[in-house]
Amino acid sequence: MSTILTYIAISDGKLKRSSLEVLSHCKSLADASGASCEAVVIDANASSFVDGIQKYGASKVHVVEDPIFKNHMNTPLLKALSKVMASVNPSVFAFASTEGTKDVLGALAANQNAAVIADVASFELIDGGVKAKRPVMAAKIMNNTEAKSEKVLVSVRSGSYDLNESLESAEVVNVDFSMDDSEMKSTLREIISASGDTIDLNEAEAIVAAGRGVKDEEGKALISELASVLKAGIGASRALTESGVYDPSLQIGQTGKVVSPQLYIAVGISGAIQHVAGMANSKVIVAINKDPDAPIFEVADYGIVGDLYKVLPPFIEEIKKIKG
Amino acid sequence: MKFYICIKMVPDVYAPLQIKEGELIMDADRMVLNAYDASAVEEALVLKEKHGGEVEVVCIGPAKASETIRKALAMGADKATHILATGDEEYDSASYAKILSAFFKDKEYDVIGLGKQSQDTDSGLTGSMVAEHLSLPYTTNAVGLEVENGNLVVKRQGDSGQEMIELPTPCAVTCSNDMNDPRIPNLKGIMASKRKPIDQVEISSLGIDETELQADTKVTSYEEKPARQAGKKYEGEAEEVAREVAQLLDTEANVL
Ligand SMILES: Cc1cc2nc3c(=O)[nH]c(=O)nc-3n(C[C@H](O)[C@H](O)[C@H](O)COP(=O)(O)OP(=O)(O)OC[C@H]3O[C@@H](n4cnc5c(N)ncnc54)[C@H](O)[C@@H]3O)c2cc1C
Ligand SMILES: Nc1ncnc2c1ncn2[C@@H]1O[C@H](COP(=O)(O)O)[C@@H](O)[C@H]1O
Repeated sequence: MSTILTYIAISDGKLKRSSLEVLSHCKSLADASGASCEAVVIDANASSFVDGIQKYGASKVHVVEDPIFKNHMNTPLLKALSKVMASVNPSVFAFASTEGTKDVLGALAANQNAAVIADVASFELIDGGVKAKRPVMAAKIMNNTEAKSEKVLVSVRSGSYDLNESLESAEVVNVDFSMDDSEMKSTLREIISASGDTIDLNEAEAIVAAGRGVKDEEGKALISELASVLKAGIGASRALTESGVYDPSLQIGQTGKVVSPQLYIAVGISGAIQHVAGMANSKVIVAINKDPDAPIFEVADYGIVGDLYKVLPPFIEEIKKIKG
Repeated sequence: MKFYICIKMVPDVYAPLQIKEGELIMDADRMVLNAYDASAVEEALVLKEKHGGEVEVVCIGPAKASETIRKALAMGADKATHILATGDEEYDSASYAKILSAFFKDKEYDVIGLGKQSQDTDSGLTGSMVAEHLSLPYTTNAVGLEVENGNLVVKRQGDSGQEMIELPTPCAVTCSNDMNDPRIPNLKGIMASKRKPIDQVEISSLGIDETELQADTKVTSYEEKPARQAGKKYEGEAEEVAREVAQLLDTEANVL
């Protein structure tokens, strides 16, 4: 029987929702094709996540637990992934497309002599491999890509699949792992974290995103207030992460993150294709821009033409009223 | 430090395009230097200016890619290797990674720099593949590079924060365009680029089995994205439209 394996990413001590989305999809593929649906979790506290994982249908969870996985480092992660992959021998190994995944995916494919399709919007099984849809040309169009190989790695954009619970009591396989210092190829010196209370943009239900139109502290304060009444995450265009106004982790777009919240409010953002590439899958898009011809209006469900400094205060006030 | 920067010629994402019966039709003349690679070149030039060394660019591509190579030379790279492809091969990231690795096998260098992804396909695979083939320490998505005591110190953008990683040389690193604004070549640079050497290399001379280069992945067709309908634009008095849209988000869109 073939196996579809899903890598479950842990970030800031939590299961990444995007990994569970991928697992949900893999479970349905496995059920339809008679394959076994398995998962692997690699973390300093990996075993504590088994309960959360089996809820989404994995019949076996491979657990690699070692203090070395407290922070992301590609050498140990690659070693663990290679080891699990070699022993499970999955026909498909699926990942959520996080920065952690992007750091090792190509290397794992080279190491395991597997075919790989990165950053897909959807994928399915075909005879002898995998077929996927990928956004290309700054997400202006899609292509269909096929990988024919006994082993295929695939990484999936967040928000591509819905969570789907289907409780299994998974068999737990503890994987032996050790690594000594001499094997470490690089050193992690320091982690510079984004400002404290940030919401994971990949998981946010609502996002307020600021662009170059937000010029000063007053503008930033309005963005923060709107985000707080909506319990939204704050994102930013490249114009503002580049100039240091917002933390680089908050950049949304081709270079930054791909997000798909229920509500996306673009404030003072022109709508360059590279920005739109990261947010066009949001369910409802609101744009606030003083230029009636700004391209962002082409993707917005609700476009407010106006000066953000004049629009935001009554907009925030009205939302506060509605929220009671 | 000796830097090799891998640069790719890619289609300009701003060029008009059309899809006919699953085929992508666009102007084959509108090709550019991949933006992420331009950032890698820029950073190598800055480090060379500070610490000395040499910056060589390597490009696998058809004859036309010499324009892309000239651009990097005009920015200030010292020399170039052009690994000739016909342009008709259906290579994927894995194929390019194998060719690059074969090229680097007997070379001496401190840092191999690449872009974090190709801006047309966003694959982002080649860098870590090359590192794995050559057993090099590496990191990806760099937003800052420094040289300290002969090591490369990389600031990389991770999922939630930035990580400072120290790599011994030789090593590989993939670069984000968040690292810098690549310089625009000036006239002097453009003139100088014409005198800089471009070494042309045939893939067959690199000692790789051609069948190994056959791509495992294949693009079978292109299609339009499900179009997003532009919604309604609300113009007029700021206070009024702001309140109206807020109401609609509640009653019509149901997202509040
Ligand atoms: C390879 C590559 C990758 C890239 N990746 C990304 C990415 O991941 N994310 C990203 O965002 N960009 C990315 N970019 C950059 C992108 O092309 C744009 O330069 C950037 O998105 C512009 O940001 P902006 O819309 O905030 O600024 P601008 O384009 O300058 O737009 C500012 C907007 O604010 C409006 N405005 C000004 N004042 C006000 C006011 N008072 N009230 C209301 N509206 C106002 C203006 O009308 C204008 O439309 C990338 C570019 C390249 C080449
Ligand atoms: N044909 C090529 N010639 C030189 N470098 C390349 C080539 N293809 C890919 N690269 C390098 O690999 C990076 C990532 O490529 P990709 O895996 O296609 O996203 C690019 O930014 C380049 O630095």
